[in-house]
Amino acid sequence: MLRDGKVVHLVRCAACGPQEREVSADAAAYVRSFLARGVVPDGLVGDHLFKHTTSTCPGCLALVTAQVVIRKGQVFFLKDCERCGPSEALVSEDAGYYVKAYSFARAGTEPLIFRNTAEHGCPTDCGTCDDHEQHTCLPIVEVTDHCNLECPICIVDNQYSNHMAPATFAKIVDGLVEAEGACESLALSGGEPTSHPNILELLAIANRPEIGRVVLITNGIRLGKDRAFARALKDMGVYVGLQLDGFTADVHTKLRGRDLVAEKAAALAVLAELDIPTQLIFVATRGVNDHQIGQVVELFLSGPHFLSLNFQPVAYTGHGGGTFDHDPNNRLTIPGVIKRIDEQTAGKVNYTDFFPLPCSHPQCVSLTYLLRLDDGTSIPFARFVDFEKHATLLRSSATLPATAEVEDALIDVIHDVFARQDEIPRGAEILAALRRSLDEMFPKQPLSSREAFRVSERQSKSIFLHHYMDRHDFDLERLRKCCHHYPQIDGRIMPACGFNMFHRGAAKGPDTPRAKFGRAPFSLPVIT
Amino acid sequence: MSHLCEGRVALVTGGSRGLGRAICLALAREGAIVAFNYLKADADAEATVAQIEAAGGRASAHKVSVLDKPGLAELARALDRAHGKIDILVNNAGHGQVVPLALMEESDWDEMLDTHVKGAFLTTQAVLRIMVRERYGRVINVSSLAGVKMMQAPVHYATAKAALKGFTESLAKEIGRYGITVNCVAPGVLDEGVSDHLPPARREEYLRHCALRRVGRLDEAADMIAFLASDRASYANGATLVVDGAV
Repeated sequence: MLRDGKVVHLVRCAACGPQEREVSADAAAYVRSFLARGVVPDGLVGDHLFKHTTSTCPGCLALVTAQVVIRKGQVFFLKDCERCGPSEALVSEDAGYYVKAYSFARAGTEPLIFRNTAEHGCPTDCGTCDDHEQHTCLPIVEVTDHCNLECPICIVDNQYSNHMAPATFAKIVDGLVEAEGACESLALSGGEPTSHPNILELLAIANRPEIGRVVLITNGIRLGKDRAFARALKDMGVYVGLQLDGFTADVHTKLRGRDLVAEKAAALAVLAELDIPTQLIFVATRGVNDHQIGQVVELFLSGPHFLSLNFQPVAYTGHGGGTFDHDPNNRLTIPGVIKRIDEQTAGKVNYTDFFPLPCSHPQCVSLTYLLRLDDGTSIPFARFVDFEKHATLLRSSATLPATAEVEDALIDVIHDVFARQDEIPRGAEILAALRRSLDEMFPKQPLSSREAFRVSERQSKSIFLHHYMDRHDFDLERLRKCCHHYPQIDGRIMPACGFNMFHRGAAKGPDTPRAKFGRAPFSLPVIT
Repeated sequence: MSHLCEGRVALVTGGSRGLGRAICLALAREGAIVAFNYLKADADAEATVAQIEAAGGRASAHKVSVLDKPGLAELARALDRAHGKIDILVNNAGHGQVVPLALMEESDWDEMLDTHVKGAFLTTQAVLRIMVRERYGRVINVSSLAGVKMMQAPVHYATAKAALKGFTESLAKEIGRYGITVNCVAPGVLDEGVSDHLPPARREEYLRHCALRRVGRLDEAADMIAFLASDRASYANGATLVVDGAV
């Protein structure tokens, strides 16, 4: 891990406990030499070993060492399990992107408190333990395990047994605030959270000053049918994360179990009509809906209420996803989705507009921000911002916090565009949009902090790609840096992929034996 | 001894005569390639260029108002194309007017404030983008003793000159991060300067309070500006330097 400009090797021995060793006193030099290992020698035939990591055996889910190799421009894990034998898995369709992503690695920020101490090492002590390298950026509370769909790619394992009690939910929110001080965003998920009988009560509980944005992640079926419910969301200032994996009956049927075209259209219509701030969530699956990626980008760019678009290359884990037909060596990864965005949007959003997010592990998330120009179109920030220089601006959300560091970077961006306005395509329009943003965010009559938040997030849009892990591409170093967490009723705050892989008991489908340290959702006593 | 501004490219506003011309001459003498703008006086502008060239320097005159935003942008672009940079900007353009507030027309006020303050803003904005790109610049604003000390001077003139002091300090904070310094020079009464035609009583009062017992010369203020424009003044930023013989 990187710490205080140094590189530290952490070791946890069953007999002797934790130890650490300084690998390098110069983290920057170490990262440079590390990246150089990813350069494939000219004329090399066969695999080029880039590094090692810890993955899982896809057969028995045991932790195994993986060789990370570059093969014909792609990256694979090569694993050999004592029990199940060798296996391979594609982890990136672009070795260049994969290697360079490590240059965006940054040390994480610890939460105010950890829930657990590390005893046996990652991933056994989740909750989070004090070995975890990142605080909670995006908490996702699964408020129910009931659902009104049976999705063939479902990554959870709904038991139709629990709706979280409002008092329990309130304790979870209290715990989050205690651990984080404040949360930029809090997502309510499930199951299908709109099937919770007290969902509006839960949303009201979450709607407190320490939480910047309350997001309801939904398949949209209820939204399209229940206008009063949609109106209530609007009145409460709730944001909607709408699953939208495509536009045709065959795509919905393959991924969500039935034709949802009309229901998705109804949900989209009410979101637009009520101007509810919306995130679109598109689970991208090779050979199923990857030809509709450009179409969802076009939809996203067309509506001012669409704040972000989240692509999730499918993870083959969970009740549905664990058994979904797939080839682990021929699947979509983050670069594959970006390539399709590039190819299907006619230059509106390009491959080079995306950068790894330093907040989480750089292989987990890639993103681009788009500035809203005065004519209603959007232009990716990468066209006028040097993100390698201004990595501070790469954040995990659609908005930028008003920190001194961010303000500093924004001032540089403004002056850089100002100085190069003749060289940058649409330079004058970008300057005009930046000026408009300032006018709207700092009007003559001051805004309340919440109003300012709402105004500022409308100045830009963001496209995220978040690749959740499964038994094929699981990478322990990614899990340790995870910042997308599931808070539990027992007070633990669980990094998402570790929870999905080892605790739900559905990594290979519904009948997967749970890891001996695993604890399913709703299975432990409620925090008191 | 090497010249203070060798190899630098300078733009001086209002450079055809008076203090502006003296600044052009001083910068050219110190090795800068000098461009200046002017509003009306073609013959004076030609004389300034001729004087610089006669001394072996390089100069060009540009007839464009400091209130002509597109014209200033084009001038900055032209200098950038010709020389690849603009290192030095001296916001000097201005004029004097003797009139008490009681008789001041709104147009008097507007013209005074526009020429001194808006002109400095527009010219600086046009040039600044080149300085930011180059991560280097020297901006010197020509204020006046009337803008920094309480004295009998036309209110609109004193207001405009005081505004330039604020302009200097705020801009210095804003763009210092790009290696650009912004300073202000506040001359006292200069022979052949804008306050040269003071009523005799005022002039005598000035001399009575001036430690050096004389009015200044244009080149004495211009040399200070040339110094501030040089690398020798690299740590002076946001400063207002009074050049008045100690009044």
